[in-house]
Amino acid sequence: MTLPPEEADEPPPEPRPYLSAGHDGAVAVPDGTGVSGLRPYLLTAGRVEPVDQTLEIEAQVVTTEFGAASYGQLAFEARDIVSLCATTLSIAEVAAKLRLHIGVARVLVADLAALGYLVVRRPSFPLSQDPNLIERVIRGLEAIR
Amino acid sequence: MDSKPSAEPVPGATRAPVPVKIVIAGGFGVGKTTAVSVISEIAPLTTEAAITSVAADIDRTGQVPAKTTTTVALDFGCITIDQEIKLYLFGTPGQDRFGFMWHDLAYGALGALVIVDARRIDDCYPAVDYFEKVGLPFVVAINLFDGVLTHDLADLRWALAIDPAIPLITFDARDRLSVRDALLSVLRHTLEKTGAPAS
Repeated sequence: MTLPPEEADEPPPEPRPYLSAGHDGAVAVPDGTGVSGLRPYLLTAGRVEPVDQTLEIEAQVVTTEFGAASYGQLAFEARDIVSLCATTLSIAEVAAKLRLHIGVARVLVADLAALGYLVVRRPSFPLSQDPNLIERVIRGLEAIR
Repeated sequence: MDSKPSAEPVPGATRAPVPVKIVIAGGFGVGKTTAVSVISEIAPLTTEAAITSVAADIDRTGQVPAKTTTTVALDFGCITIDQEIKLYLFGTPGQDRFGFMWHDLAYGALGALVIVDARRIDDCYPAVDYFEKVGLPFVVAINLFDGVLTHDLADLRWALAIDPAIPLITFDARDRLSVRDALLSVLRHTLEKTGAPAS
């Protein structure tokens, strides 16, 4: 491997649907994303801060009924995220499964949640100091054999 | 769409669990990825890239033979604790240059496990410094690479210059139950600290 790490992190470009469907009237790419050599934050139009800047990477994401009914109208990564989150996943898992930079996934999830496609369940930080919660986690781990 | 969009999760979606997390920290090649993978219930997800050529410069390869890949971004796994709680384990890159990620990883964590290779303990200093600074409870765990502790624990504690109240344990990152027990040490230590009356 001779690429610098950030290049090496780039997954091989997935063929976009429109590439193979060009002859039967595929529409132009609406958001201007290309197919390879993308800088990760091109997907977010250069924004590095999510609409909710504090969204945690372990926050749980699940598609809403509205999202399930209408994600077909979304483009590319947004559609993939709403489709994927029919089962609850963390933002970190969304990033890994879709091979997105974790910061990009956070921006896109926050946008989609603001638009009503997703609901996000965030960790409760007072709860992480809660002895009862910690004891439950201890019991859960002790059950591992 | 004419009807009011429903903000309810899709029918059949399980109620989202409460996510909690433990941070797994340490230098290059100390066993973070191994520890996460032996205990995670999902195949560990990672943005790890094989950086053999880079690692050749950074790793002291003479002391760490046969290490060909290392964590450059983030890897993680999870454990379902019960129907309402899901525990995430985030392996953090131990190097200073990745320090910008640590806040995201450490904020709200139940605690941290700092994994140490006794042959090069200074690799864990950035992690220890960081957790001390932010006040995140942590446990230092010596990974017994060959099942052998090469140094006396008291000597290691002295060399690490950690507070006597911080647990220093040994474990085997390849052994599921050993990793489980190391995580339990972290949680019990956290419990001690949170259970203590606020000063």
